[in-house]
Amino acid sequence: MAVCIAVIAKENYPLYIRSVPVQNELKFHYTVHTSLDVVEEKISAVGKAMADQRELYLGLLYPTEDYKVYPSHMIIVYYTPVCMFFILIENILLYRHTRYGYVTNSKVKFVIVADSSNTSLRDNEIRSMFRKLHNSFTDVMCNPFYNPGDTIQSKAFDSMVSAMMVQAS
Amino acid sequence: MSIPDYMQCAEDHQTVLVVVQPVGIVPEDEFFRIYKRITSVAQVSIRDSQRNLYIRYRHHYLPENNEWGDFQTHRKVVGLISVTTCGSAKEWPQTSDRFHCQKDVFGATLYDSRLLVFGLQGEIAEQQRTDVAFYPSYDDCPDVEKRVEDFVESIFIVLESKRLDRATDKSGDKIPLLCVPFEKKDFVGLDTDSRHYKKRCQGRMRKHVGDLCLQAGMLQDALVHYHMAVELLRSVNDFLWLGAALEGLCSASVIFHYPGGTAGKASGREPSLAHGQGQAADAGKRHRPGAQEVLIDPGALTANGISADTSSEIGRAKNCLGPEDIIEKYKEAISYYGKYKNAGVIELEACVKAVRVLAIQKRAMEASEFLQNAVYINLGQLSEEEKIQRYSILSELYHLIGFHRKSAFFKRVAAMQCVAPTIPEPGWRACYKLLLETLSGYSLCLDPKDFSKGSHRGWAAVQVRLLHELVYASRRMGNPGLSVRHLSFLLQTMLDLLSDQEKKEVTQSLENYTSKCPGGMEVLTLPDGLKLPPVPLSKLPIVRSVKLLDLPVSLRPHKQKGLLENNMSSKSPFIYSPIIMHTRGEERTKKIEFRWVQGDVCEVQLMVYNPMPFELRVEHMGLLTSGVEFEALPAALSLPAESGLYPVTLVGVPRTAGNINISGYHTSVFGVTSDCLLDGLPSVRTSGCVVEVIPSLPRLQLSTSLPRSAHPLRPSKEELSSSVSVQLFNGETQQLTITLENIGSEDLETLEVTSKTCNTKEKLFGEFLSWDLEEAVSQLPLKPGQSVTLTVNVKVRLDFSGGENLLQDLNDDGISVTGLPISSPLRQVLKPRAETKPLGSESSKTDYNHVKTLEAVMTFKYSGGAGKMEGYYRDLSLGVHVDVEPSVFFTRVSTLPATRTRQCHLLLDVFNSTEHELMVSANNNQDLVLHPSECQRMAIQVAKFDFHTLPQPDQEAVRYTNPKLLEEERLHAQASMISSTLGITWNIISFDGEASVEGVLNQLVLEHLQLAPLQWDVVVNGKPCDCDIIADCKVGDAVPLEVKLTNRSKNAVGPFALTVVPFQDYQNGVQNYDLQDAVTFIGSNTFYIDMVKPTENSACMGALLFLYTGDFYLNIKFQDDSAGQGKELPPSWFGLPSVHIKALEAPIEAGA
Repeated sequence: MAVCIAVIAKENYPLYIRSVPVQNELKFHYTVHTSLDVVEEKISAVGKAMADQRELYLGLLYPTEDYKVYPSHMIIVYYTPVCMFFILIENILLYRHTRYGYVTNSKVKFVIVADSSNTSLRDNEIRSMFRKLHNSFTDVMCNPFYNPGDTIQSKAFDSMVSAMMVQAS
Repeated sequence: MSIPDYMQCAEDHQTVLVVVQPVGIVPEDEFFRIYKRITSVAQVSIRDSQRNLYIRYRHHYLPENNEWGDFQTHRKVVGLISVTTCGSAKEWPQTSDRFHCQKDVFGATLYDSRLLVFGLQGEIAEQQRTDVAFYPSYDDCPDVEKRVEDFVESIFIVLESKRLDRATDKSGDKIPLLCVPFEKKDFVGLDTDSRHYKKRCQGRMRKHVGDLCLQAGMLQDALVHYHMAVELLRSVNDFLWLGAALEGLCSASVIFHYPGGTAGKASGREPSLAHGQGQAADAGKRHRPGAQEVLIDPGALTANGISADTSSEIGRAKNCLGPEDIIEKYKEAISYYGKYKNAGVIELEACVKAVRVLAIQKRAMEASEFLQNAVYINLGQLSEEEKIQRYSILSELYHLIGFHRKSAFFKRVAAMQCVAPTIPEPGWRACYKLLLETLSGYSLCLDPKDFSKGSHRGWAAVQVRLLHELVYASRRMGNPGLSVRHLSFLLQTMLDLLSDQEKKEVTQSLENYTSKCPGGMEVLTLPDGLKLPPVPLSKLPIVRSVKLLDLPVSLRPHKQKGLLENNMSSKSPFIYSPIIMHTRGEERTKKIEFRWVQGDVCEVQLMVYNPMPFELRVEHMGLLTSGVEFEALPAALSLPAESGLYPVTLVGVPRTAGNINISGYHTSVFGVTSDCLLDGLPSVRTSGCVVEVIPSLPRLQLSTSLPRSAHPLRPSKEELSSSVSVQLFNGETQQLTITLENIGSEDLETLEVTSKTCNTKEKLFGEFLSWDLEEAVSQLPLKPGQSVTLTVNVKVRLDFSGGENLLQDLNDDGISVTGLPISSPLRQVLKPRAETKPLGSESSKTDYNHVKTLEAVMTFKYSGGAGKMEGYYRDLSLGVHVDVEPSVFFTRVSTLPATRTRQCHLLLDVFNSTEHELMVSANNNQDLVLHPSECQRMAIQVAKFDFHTLPQPDQEAVRYTNPKLLEEERLHAQASMISSTLGITWNIISFDGEASVEGVLNQLVLEHLQLAPLQWDVVVNGKPCDCDIIADCKVGDAVPLEVKLTNRSKNAVGPFALTVVPFQDYQNGVQNYDLQDAVTFIGSNTFYIDMVKPTENSACMGALLFLYTGDFYLNIKFQDDSAGQGKELPPSWFGLPSVHIKALEAPIEAGA
């Protein structure tokens, strides 16, 4: 099950980001943001090898299965300016989520964060999700009223993404 | 062993560990000064061999870690240097004891030790001891380095002997089992004779020897030993030691491949590397030029013997690992370590070492995998400090491999760790410092200039969070100035991304902070040198446009025409070009047409917009200028929530002359003062910001005796500074007193007054405004505060002619003014009509009551002071608005010939259109009282006018003017002459005024009022004779009759024939022409007048003889003989007077 789907522009800022547990959206921002390091690394590595015949699918960005997972007790200090208090957000470091990456030829990146507890998700399923995402993104780009570089506000794209999240669950 | 050394790197395997510790009371700074000097000896080349010994110094080392010294010898403390202060000989024994105690801590592993004693002098100090060195003070210890080198050499000797000792162990001897602390109990009761056990002992010993060789600088030997150890340990599945052997192999290979070291510059290694000879020199020394690949023959490895001579193996086996292999082996080693829970620290350190190697190899992906693994290594319960250390080192390593985002993430986690609630004293300062370091990872730069271009693009949610954390951390560390700066930055750059609620919260807390520490525009410098540039809140409010306003009309300076300099600064050769050549940048620097004046309040209009969902209070909003000394007068404003564009006018006074540039504006919002420069705000529209300020000019204030006009003048292009309005009856004159006060600071030196009547449909007669300036001018120059008065006469004389409406009402007399004037004996023409005319129809009345307006603009041009020198002046214009109420009307005009030919009667039908009783009078005439809306006829006897006496327009003017105009002008002149002669005035209660007939007179009337060009004079009996003059003569006497013609026309006239016909009027309508027997002519009764040239005259004489007494009339008939010449002269030219002669009884004697 995809818990978060993000589209990131060539210049590495988010065009679109949506996650299923809405209350902890910030966590996914961090998750996707840090994934970009790997995405960039992979792109630059692939770019050297073969420029044209590039595989768009980048595969697993941060694998989790290979390593043992220890619960790490993270404390994030949070405050709201009016009344300051601390909220403890746990498990920000917990890699319960597997992140997959995909990059289009125009260097737009897609990141899907999947719940790794769901083992039924196979590689080709992820691939097909990315393909769908790419097609939908192409539709968005074809919209003459869309300014490349703006955040995506297309309803069609939104519904496709939510379908993907629901369908996979 | 629980505390990992995150600073470790692969080349640390070849170092020997020396602990430097203070004994007793040693001032910290003194200790570290000595420590620094000691650590500068990081590398010692041994005299008789070509080997180098590397030393790692620690001032703090857990004895617990020392227990792992057998496992990896670089963890073993082999040397101890103690630093102590000893003031007197008495203390010496105690100090010595302490030193020995300390030695005992690491006792088992120590090869050698030294004690550095400072401050002791005397006999104790004089004794020569190898293990103790005495120095008089911390400043006076020149040979510390030398001492340390000697010490290192002695360590080397021990090391070398140990190495040789271990390496030459005979296979027959029982090799002791080396083990790590947690293994000890596992081996209790194990069969020590088994082959398996022996092999294990051998393997571990090989590995140990390898370590020693590496430390002793014998890289090749070490590689060989490690290879053998790997083989041996693999066969017995001794994974922990196999891992160690593999790691040793990796370390040795890394040392071989990367002599420059893997720690990198950023690493916070012990000062042994960072100081001393410096990194580069260090690297050069470490490089072994003779290093060649060492080959080992696997066949030479025997299971039971360790050959002392490894030289035979050299050159046969390739035992140095390639870069790829290093990683593979590291991976393998780590996986083996991973099998032991107690070896977590070893595993973690191995990971860190591997990452450093990978970073050098630029293999970020694999490095990240190692790091990923390191994250998960559980070291049990870590203290908070250890956690911080761990996260920051992770961050550093991620940074090393180029994963800046990951690095930022961990740095932030470390920062959060610093202030975890479980920590009794949260390190907000450290937290803040770490948070600042994460900024680059989140691509945030604290300079707001980077954000002014275009919309924000980035990880907004994450960045906002980070900024919030920065704000909070800086507040907690007790620096509200920083909080304010960060909050302002947050507001300025992330405004579009904040929700309404957030905006409210952020501004509220900003206000809270600024109450303690107001935000300013200064650059904040942090202790570590980071500069926080000021954040101008240019979005609170958003300024859309900046427009410089001209001065109010009355204060605008004008340049004297004559002094106009050539300001044709067109860049194009064309007079007009449709291509507008301007760019954005040019627009800003474009100079504005108008000028400001020094010392006068100048205005700039900003269109502002409040993007906040609540009311925004902006205080001290003022202008920022350059070029001219400018006194900005700040304004405070309050913008409603989400206001639309809102105009704000900022004012200021330029104090000097020159070009002023409006460079920006200044605001104070939520306690944060900001200077927003227009250059940094590309979204602001402006039509130029540079304006010329001219030297100061005087300023006049105008006040009048008349009330100010409520309504402005009718649409006229000119803008007026003030205007007055007054209501007058047509023909009335009003005095207007104008007071001009100099309210400026300069002397008023010149004053000119002009006036201009606005275009009006009404025909205006006479001068509307008239004044005498001389008195006012005589008072100049006018000092500031003084005033001068000027009296202006406002005279309204509009058309007094009535419409056609009333004509019918009075059209009863039917007096014909056409044709020949009849010499009527009627004397009393003037017969006031007794009857009052009934009121005209309502419609006609309203027509007459229609109020007309007259407007004029008086312009006061004045100058003085410095501005006058530059040729500037000011205009003050006063609009005069007069509502003209109708007074009297001349509804109809006609003429009646008077009894004299040189006179005539002007009949005027006067209508009183007011609601008051009105009295009309004319020159030498009686008054005529008119009731409201009454119309009466008035007759005025006037002498005919000789218009030739009017000044002729000069020839020049005639040539260039429209003939029609000329004609009009002529008519006007004639009419005004008539009018002034008549001098008709009216009087309503207390008002009085004059009435002009100018507009009433038509061509026909004019003709009648005009003296004919041919003047006929009849002289009877030597007496000029006219209609009303009765000439006396005696019966029987000859009466001479002379008819004289004066030609004033432009052409010659004549010849004429005049026939004198006498007759008698019986006054009953019967005229008797049959008088042949009563009157006789002496000579002909017909006179002939020859042609008379212009301006000449001609006379003809005749005589009459009256035979009877009686009243006789002479009718002089006229006959034009010049018909042949083909031109008819108008009959009115022949206005010959009829002659009335009274023939009286001659004296008796005459009749006899």
